[in-house]
Amino acid sequence: MTTITRQDLNFGQVVADILCEFLEVAIHLILYVREVYPSGIFQKRKKYNVPVQMSCHPELNQYIQDTLHCIKPLIEKNDAEKVVVVIMDKEHHPVERFVFEISQPPLLSISSDALLSHVEQLLRAFILKISVCDAVLNNNPPGCSFTVLVHTRDAATRNMEKVQVIKDFPWIVADEQEVHMQEPRLIPLKTMTSDIVKMQLYVEERAQKT
Amino acid sequence: TCKEQAKPNLSSASDKKIVLLPCKNPPSRDRVLLWLQAKKQYENLQKWG
Repeated sequence: MTTITRQDLNFGQVVADILCEFLEVAIHLILYVREVYPSGIFQKRKKYNVPVQMSCHPELNQYIQDTLHCIKPLIEKNDAEKVVVVIMDKEHHPVERFVFEISQPPLLSISSDALLSHVEQLLRAFILKISVCDAVLNNNPPGCSFTVLVHTRDAATRNMEKVQVIKDFPWIVADEQEVHMQEPRLIPLKTMTSDIVKMQLYVEERAQKT
Repeated sequence: TCKEQAKPNLSSASDKKIVLLPCKNPPSRDRVLLWLQAKKQYENLQKWG
């Protein structure tokens, strides 16, 4: 077994690639399952060897890609503590928050190529949990929209500024009302622990949605 | 001393936790619905034309 640091082999980049690819699939699936957009824009695809629903709306797809492109340098440097998909009602108040809590070990132990296959298995379990989460959540009011929040550190935003796409896709500090929800119901969905990343996903649901 | 206490800790201030979100909004549901209707119309035209 070889032990390497995050700096070696640009391993942070590999982890960020894996996580951003996963987050892209997860965001599409959340938008489908929680009916933020009409189901007609989604097409069935296969990711992590399971069927998922991915949008075919070019503007929405570009938006999700740009968002993740800006978050990627933060994940690469282990500076993204949480990535949150927030579903908001017509008044822009959060009704649901899908919280991806991410932590990466400073030392990475790589045993073999089986590692990536193991991570894929773990991510597949997240996808399966998201695809059935509507069973444990209440219906959302009509006309919902979404946004993505990233919990990071002030100093880490310099890494974001290096990304070219940020010029056309600027970010701002979130307001308190966008970050916090009053007395949410907490629904844990999945936790994973692997050699390269630890992640847990839970949903915060507003008690009164209508 | 009081003076020292008043000094802001620059290292921790620049390293404080923050929450960011994109300035841009994603396309609205109505906009996406219009796109979907136009797509279906186009596909029907292609089928019968």
